[in-house]
Amino acid sequence: MNLIAAITAAAFATLTIAAHAAPVVTTPAVAAASATLTVRFTGIATPTGAVLLSLFANEADFDTGGKPVASTMAPVKGDTAEAVFTGLPAGQYAVKAFHDIDGDGKMGTTPFGMPLEPYAFSNDAVGEAGPAKWAVANFAVGTGAVVHSIKIR
Amino acid sequence: MITDTLLDRRQMLGGAVALSALTVPHGANAATTRPDWFLGVDDVVADVPQQRLTRIHGRVPAGLDGTLYRNGPARFRRAGTASGHWFDGDGLIRAWAVRDGAATLTARFVDTPKRRLEERAGAMVQPGFGTASRTGSRVTSADDTNAANTSVIAAGGRLLALWEAGSAFAVDPVTLATIGPEIFRPDLAGMPFLAHPRVEPDGRIWNLGLSAKAALIWRLSAAGKLEAAQAIELPMGSYIHDFTATARHLVIVLQPWIQDHMALPFVESLSWKPELGSKILVIDKADLTKRRVYDLPPFAAFHFGDAWEESDGTIRFDGCFEADPSFGRDAARALIDGRYMAVPSPRLTMVALRPDGRADMHAAGIDAEFPRSDPRGAGLPRSRTVHVGGYLPGRPFAARVGVWDWRTGKNDAHDFGARHLVEEFVPVSAGKREWLMGTTVNLDTRRSELHVFDAHHVAAGPVVSWTADRALPVSFHGNWV
Repeated sequence: MNLIAAITAAAFATLTIAAHAAPVVTTPAVAAASATLTVRFTGIATPTGAVLLSLFANEADFDTGGKPVASTMAPVKGDTAEAVFTGLPAGQYAVKAFHDIDGDGKMGTTPFGMPLEPYAFSNDAVGEAGPAKWAVANFAVGTGAVVHSIKIR
Repeated sequence: MITDTLLDRRQMLGGAVALSALTVPHGANAATTRPDWFLGVDDVVADVPQQRLTRIHGRVPAGLDGTLYRNGPARFRRAGTASGHWFDGDGLIRAWAVRDGAATLTARFVDTPKRRLEERAGAMVQPGFGTASRTGSRVTSADDTNAANTSVIAAGGRLLALWEAGSAFAVDPVTLATIGPEIFRPDLAGMPFLAHPRVEPDGRIWNLGLSAKAALIWRLSAAGKLEAAQAIELPMGSYIHDFTATARHLVIVLQPWIQDHMALPFVESLSWKPELGSKILVIDKADLTKRRVYDLPPFAAFHFGDAWEESDGTIRFDGCFEADPSFGRDAARALIDGRYMAVPSPRLTMVALRPDGRADMHAAGIDAEFPRSDPRGAGLPRSRTVHVGGYLPGRPFAARVGVWDWRTGKNDAHDFGARHLVEEFVPVSAGKREWLMGTTVNLDTRRSELHVFDAHHVAAGPVVSWTADRALPVSFHGNWV
């Protein structure tokens, strides 16, 4: 059980850094890229701070704490928060997010690394003994506008 | 059901262990011809409303008023699925109350997220100490797997139902209704809190929370309020179920059963490495940076007696030491399938930590588990150790209660015999008199019984015994309040 804590927190370690370093979407190099992805967070219990999220485009980076294609910060408004990514190439994507309630830019944890702030993955995927995997968290982005909703708890 | 369990084991265990599980010839028969001791690990399907107990014999000692709160796993199976380990059933709090010469029993499950989810699912799906997760499990924090099933203490007018890898759950002492996980401070939510806190005679509570080599030292007031929480690092990442303390020191026993790799269920992440030996970490309660480490030969252990310090600085404590961890690793899993595995018995052993840094130990020569002593003398010199023992060939659980006296080398014991499963007994004081109180499961009547002994005449048999109208499975730990 203690292992769960350590690996769950580890999953967000990269997210923290990424969110600090790049609060805007990195512009994809592919000229044909045209999709707009809106990620909408619902069910937010505490109306403060922001949701910090990272967008991944492949299994290896998502599952092993690799580099996201984009990271951003979505300010919380009431019980929702919304982030928009533009110019995405069509493909499969997955999101890791946590609600930075206290606005310190990092996932609050216990002394043993257990998450203290709400977190979520795309598809509302839940991990087994750790963070959710790409296999259950990935979703399709086509060439138009896509809205993906995530319940954060 | 047995087939399901074996299949799950195959999926979750490495080759050798899985093969041994599959080749046990009695496994397939267990469902049809369960051993009679299976009553000790059977399921309770609903809370038990208050009932008056029937007195079997004897008289209630004058002034004996209070409640023996006990906790232990009592729901292991749902619709063809089963816990993979005795330690993973849902915690049932039992209140054995004695008032004005009459006794009652009430029992209520701790309402944990694990139990709620499994009630809805109609299946045992959450992972545990020795249980693999099944489809439908949901684990976002350690408390999602918290069975709140190991012990119960009273603090600040409430009960705390204790587990070891997550929060204590607060419980109402009258209705036994669950209040919820105890959050001592927001940043400590869900932190592990062992089921064996050490309580000083004035009520101050010390406890540990563990994660491999990381330990949190909890200090609570007698009212159960957080006074301090400090993280320290241990010399090795031993499995720790219990620790002990003198008036001035915390004494943490580090057995060579080490969490050295990542595997689920949790017990699979532990490796037995006798070549490392056992270590004893002694920490000054007043300054947690002041520490000393002693070396001892390897042993496995769950439980320790209260420690004390002598005038020359020698620290002594006893414990129930096993030659290896096969009970917790294997035999306690097999119990759920109705299978008995012969494993090394726990042996009562005294440890001395000398001022010159040497450590030694010597055995009493008896089987013993669940060592207890008078809570009024916690951390102070003593010679008596309340325990259960008398393990019989061919079946699990104790058959005897006793008080071992280290000064005289004598065991004042009562044998309940092969037809009782004997649970932990606790010392109780009423005025100037000292009693032992505890419960057994009577395999002939198929009912649970409550017994009171004169703590200084145990061999004379119980001074009073009552029976409930049903059997509750064997419980782990409790306290008289």
